[in-house]
Amino acid sequence: MSFIPGQPVTAVVQRIEICKLRQCDNLILGFSIGGGIDQDPGQNPFSEDKTDKGIYVTRVSKGGPAEAAGLMIGDKIMQVNGWDMTMVTHDQARKRLTKKNEDVVRLLVTRKSLEDAVRNAMV
Amino acid sequence: MFCRNQTTRATVARGSALEMEIRRGKFRMSIFMDSSQDSDIQKKIDHEIRMREGTCKLLGACSQKDQALEASKSLLTCNTRILAYMSELQRMKEAQILQRATRRPSDSAPLDERLPCKGKVAISDLRIPLMWKDTEYFKNKGELHRCAVFCILQLGGEIHDTDMVMVDRTMTDICFDSTIIFQEACPGFELRMELYSCCSEDESSTGSASRKLASKLGSSLSRSSGKKFRSGLEPGGGSPVSNGGGAPLLLPAPSNSGPKYHLLAHTSLVMAHVQDAFRTHDLSITGNEECSYWLPLYGSACCRLVAQPRCMTEQMMSGRLKVKHLGGDSQSCKTTYSVLRGTKLFCYLQEDNVEAEVEPAFTIAINKETRIRATDKDPHGKAQSICISNRYGGEEVTHVLSAERREDTQRWMEAFWQHFYDMSQWKQCCDDLMKINVPLPRKPTAVMTKQGSLYHEMIIDTSDDIGTVTDILARRVKEESFLSHPEGPLHWMSLFGESPPPSHSLQGAGLSPHLYCRSPRDPGRHQRGQLSDSPGSPLFPRSRPRTLSLDAKLSSLRGRGYGSSPAQAPQPIPSCSSSTSSHSSSEGSTASETDSVPFPRSTTARSSLRNLRAKLDPRNWLQSQV
Repeated sequence: MSFIPGQPVTAVVQRIEICKLRQCDNLILGFSIGGGIDQDPGQNPFSEDKTDKGIYVTRVSKGGPAEAAGLMIGDKIMQVNGWDMTMVTHDQARKRLTKKNEDVVRLLVTRKSLEDAVRNAMV
Repeated sequence: MFCRNQTTRATVARGSALEMEIRRGKFRMSIFMDSSQDSDIQKKIDHEIRMREGTCKLLGACSQKDQALEASKSLLTCNTRILAYMSELQRMKEAQILQRATRRPSDSAPLDERLPCKGKVAISDLRIPLMWKDTEYFKNKGELHRCAVFCILQLGGEIHDTDMVMVDRTMTDICFDSTIIFQEACPGFELRMELYSCCSEDESSTGSASRKLASKLGSSLSRSSGKKFRSGLEPGGGSPVSNGGGAPLLLPAPSNSGPKYHLLAHTSLVMAHVQDAFRTHDLSITGNEECSYWLPLYGSACCRLVAQPRCMTEQMMSGRLKVKHLGGDSQSCKTTYSVLRGTKLFCYLQEDNVEAEVEPAFTIAINKETRIRATDKDPHGKAQSICISNRYGGEEVTHVLSAERREDTQRWMEAFWQHFYDMSQWKQCCDDLMKINVPLPRKPTAVMTKQGSLYHEMIIDTSDDIGTVTDILARRVKEESFLSHPEGPLHWMSLFGESPPPSHSLQGAGLSPHLYCRSPRDPGRHQRGQLSDSPGSPLFPRSRPRTLSLDAKLSSLRGRGYGSSPAQAPQPIPSCSSSTSSHSSSEGSTASETDSVPFPRSTTARSSLRNLRAKLDPRNWLQSQV
């Protein structure tokens, strides 16, 4: 999941579609993110490679839309609605997830267990 | 002979008396067959022509640049639609003539051909990246060269356009938020997308030197002589609009006035591009750098193109069936009410269960791997039966369906054949149902005149934290929505408390000098043009995001006695620096996060300082709730 500068990033991803939940005036997804190119990657407890500045899911609220859609804690978010999330600041990432005019966000996420599953299936 | 998918054709039974009369020439086929389609198209053409006339009048009468651009866009769309309808009418007439010429008594093939079902095609989240030169991106001075762009999407006979977006060099992509749905698409569809742009400078781009001179002279001389002068210089000699100076003058030919859009890029999408994900497609770019309407496109367009064939969304066939599961433990025969839809045959115990949306008793998969054949149990018996076999894993599972009457079984077989044909035509669209999001109707908000770019969105200022900016933006949105609803409630007058009185407001009235709230009481000045006129002149002292250097920020913070940093060594989940995580997001419930601080929407100095400290301290690892 780490990247080598100059090489394309490849990952096994899962597609997750989250329908935002409307609470009073707010649209919530029900999870928290951490990371970003402006953050210190060494403090990311979920990343394998401690230089990975990607956006990770740090918390999934119980019973929320994200949990229902299958998002798990520790997932790395690669794309949101077609927008790349591997090279964004924390604030840009948050903005892309919380656009008020979108009711559904389609994420591409990756996690270690996916890679392992694919590797084992290919044996 | 009777084909389910051709809904608009009247079918004439072979060998019937009516057909004989038609052949003898007593009645014209067109009376029964295609006149309904003809008049349909004719009505559409008339409608579009009326729209076009209205738009031309609007174009001539409007004085604001935004309105002119919108009107010009509608005009272009109307013209395109008229052209499309006319060519379709032409084609239909030609087809009719051909049909009459080549029709032979035994020729009934067109009625017997199997046609695939139609479907809905939706395109959404259209995004076109731009490729500005790096020198352009970071230019902070100089006038902003802006272009108005929009897309026209055409599939078959349906033409839709997106909303208009203003693009300048601070934007990295052209984003169209609208979702466009085409209702009647066949599997071999071609969705043509055209991007039109028109440059909108502050000085009139279409004005010639003589017109500028004319307006200048016209406004500097006295009113009456100025009018005469202007009409003299004007080539077409239309009557000038009598408001202020510099108004666009009416030209005789309506198609010449107003801003003109030019085709900037186009592409065609077909079914192979349909996927339940975002994909990038190539754009063919017309035009070069010399054109006024040029924008540096990266050369691709990203969008989400999905298709919902009718066979996936609608009930293709339903009826009572006796279902027997072969090879299982129970050889029982169940009487069910079955519904064929999508990739499954749903078997309900009772007919009412379908409407009640109760779970079906069981479902049988009908997909590309399924094999169906009819068996003749006993030729003299009541009915044939249908065998459906699927492979699950390594096993083969067979169900035997039998209907009450022979004709029913025939109809079910026909339905299955049609279904298989549809699935073979729609290919990947039939693997799974792709969802089309219909965006909820939002309150119409006026276009924000100043769109911040990604690069300007980092606000670092002691008194401006994210909470404040969110407030400002929210208020601005409200204000913009009130722009289009001048009769808004008066409680938002307080929003304009800090604004300096605009110079052209109604001071004389003696009441508060707020332009917007005056208009409901003063019908004389109540014009849309007036309202949208008060430009993005910021009503708040700090409505425009600014970027300040990080160093300056840190030093000023330190100067305030920031002193020792909070040294919140964040621990891993879940209790990590949670006070830092509660900044910014205006959305988010607090119910689930027990240790979060309620989001500071008020600009108390302490909370904003705390958040800023958290943001600026490189030792923290920020988390945000979304």
